[in-house]
Amino acid sequence: MRYIVLVILNIPVIILALFNILTQYKMHKVSKRRFQHQLILWLLILTMLMCSFPFYNHLIGNPLLDSAELSLFDIVQTTAIVMLFYGANSQRQKIDKAEKTIRDLHQELSIKLSVGKNEKH
Amino acid sequence: MSTKKHEFRVCVVIPAFNEAKVISNVIHNTIKDFKNTPYLVEVVVVNDSSKDDTATIAQSSGATVINQILNTGAGGATATGLSYAQQNNFDIACTMDADGQHDSKDVVKGVNQLIERNADLLIGSRLINKEGMSKVKIFGNKGLSSITYILFGVNSTDSQSGLRIFSKKAIGCLHWKTSGYEFCSEMLWRAKQENLLIGEYPIKAIYTEYSKGKGQNNWNAINIIKSLVKRRIAEMFE
Repeated sequence: MRYIVLVILNIPVIILALFNILTQYKMHKVSKRRFQHQLILWLLILTMLMCSFPFYNHLIGNPLLDSAELSLFDIVQTTAIVMLFYGANSQRQKIDKAEKTIRDLHQELSIKLSVGKNEKH
Repeated sequence: MSTKKHEFRVCVVIPAFNEAKVISNVIHNTIKDFKNTPYLVEVVVVNDSSKDDTATIAQSSGATVINQILNTGAGGATATGLSYAQQNNFDIACTMDADGQHDSKDVVKGVNQLIERNADLLIGSRLINKEGMSKVKIFGNKGLSSITYILFGVNSTDSQSGLRIFSKKAIGCLHWKTSGYEFCSEMLWRAKQENLLIGEYPIKAIYTEYSKGKGQNNWNAINIIKSLVKRRIAEMFE
């Protein structure tokens, strides 16, 4: 039952991330390569969460990797990690975009202002 | 005014930071060496907010000067120079160091080779013929070239060389994100992503007391590696 709670709690974040990347791709805001990377990444996270139950079952009884059953704290912690990852990922993309805008602006201003001076000489 | 027909317009980009002592020589030699070639050359000095007279001297020596509003580092200054080359529709662009480390004859040789080999990006490698290079520099450069190969899968004998020749296609599509010296490795990565034809040719590095003093410190390699690893990891999630 706890594994189902874990998946249910995380599915909205993953769906949101998938929708975001799909919308950005359809609106030509991201490249095909970036879209593919993001798609694989979030589907991988989804698969990992879905497979957590059989994975835990496999670990129980295995002498080297024996693991206790999923606790409520584990669920909260995993959900927080997925949400933080989503947040950090989108913030990083926004920062990258802003950085590019500033870089382009600086380049353009430097060229435009200097060309005028070169012509005067 | 010259009536000679020129086959290609070449833009030689020289990113410079506090190079007033040597910039004039570098510009004069470049203009002189391109004189008897079928290329129409424009030397563009990208003054990365120098505190000395680099800009004034470069301008009086016959170069076009682009004054960067902010100091961005070698990567940022090179990007500005290539952006100028793109906007002005140059056929070929070259980058070379402002400290006199590169022989301008090697730049002409690079342009010839780029055309002959039909390449998109040519790196002037100081390590094909290591003559005159200290063991420490060889070690540092080989180390960074190995890191470039491990991180980005691009094999180059001298990934940090500042002497590079770009085709029109490369001028238009190469964009990198780092602004310090790490841009040298990142540029190769971007070129690989854009499926550009990358090549190398041997050049001779001229080490004077001045250029030794201005060159990269081997300890800076640690910062370069840190920055490249961070960039590589970050883009795994893009």
